Amino acid sequence: MSKIAGRIAGISLGAAVAFGIAAPADAQLLTHKDLTVAAATTIAMTAIETCKAQGYNVSAHVLGREGQIVVAIRNPAAGFATFENSMKKAYTARTTRAPSGKFAETVKGNPNAAQFFLTNFVAAQGALPIMVGQDTIGAIGISGAPGGDKDEVCAQAGIDKVSADLR
Amino acid sequence: MNKIAYIAGFALASGLAGTANAQLVAHKDLSVNTAVTIAQTAVQTCKAQGYNVSVHVLGRNGEVLVAMRGDDTGPHTLENSMKKAWTSRAQRAPSVNFANAVKTNPTVGAIHLTNMVPAQGGLPIMVGDDAIGAIGVSGAPGGDKDEVCAKAGIDKVAADLK
Repeated sequence: MSKIAGRIAGISLGAAVAFGIAAPADAQLLTHKDLTVAAATTIAMTAIETCKAQGYNVSAHVLGREGQIVVAIRNPAAGFATFENSMKKAYTARTTRAPSGKFAETVKGNPNAAQFFLTNFVAAQGALPIMVGQDTIGAIGISGAPGGDKDEVCAQAGIDKVSADLR
Repeated sequence: MNKIAYIAGFALASGLAGTANAQLVAHKDLSVNTAVTIAQTAVQTCKAQGYNVSVHVLGRNGEVLVAMRGDDTGPHTLENSMKKAWTSRAQRAPSVNFANAVKTNPTVGAIHLTNMVPAQGGLPIMVGDDAIGAIGVSGAPGGDKDEVCAKAGIDKVAADLK
């Protein structure tokens, strides 16, 4: 073995040992918890049924960690714009990791808030982030009730239904 | 007067010729609960067979009623399930029919339309002879297996499809 090769091997071994001691196994990968389609469907349908019981027909979107659709439900009894709106509310809640009503307040204070110009942001209440501790794993958006506050109540009911699993 | 009589006569003739409300078409359409039951049953049926699948249920006009991304599915499965459903709805037939048509004639006209896909796994949702929507399933190892789950979804609500 040449001197150089020996040195490289030594450095590699030393680095491997150092990393191995400093970090836990698989430190180069992130460990995520994500929604199952079953949990997402329960969240969405609980929200729709909660609003229905209150006399409101709503559409729902549950988005995942990357804003991707996990479940999208159009309620044919609700206005057709509700489907798109529920997605945008959920997107807003997911990416800001906060209720979309908070972004609505921000835009009221500053109508030119930069995020307002991004695709899929909507300044409307009715969506909530889905959290596991401090980690935002998705969001639910509701649209169709006469008022974003009423949409949000149903969104919350959906999350509450599976809260025991969100850990 | 002659002109008025002519118009009145025309109106009367029209009235006699058609049935009540002949100027509107009566439709039955999927409710949100029925559509979700169809989709969820398909997901669960495939899951029980060891396959994770994504599902779309489309309505009469091809609009998305329900989209479900299955656990650990490939990212294309959600799109593919939509296209299989679209193909079924458009042709009022299982999407495998279109797959077979394309095998016979690879340049068949409909292959150039948006959202048409020659793949098995989509079925129309019928009320009698009326296609009121469609379901598309993607993710199982073979369109035949997708179609079994699609069928299970429709069968679950068969009693309501009338």
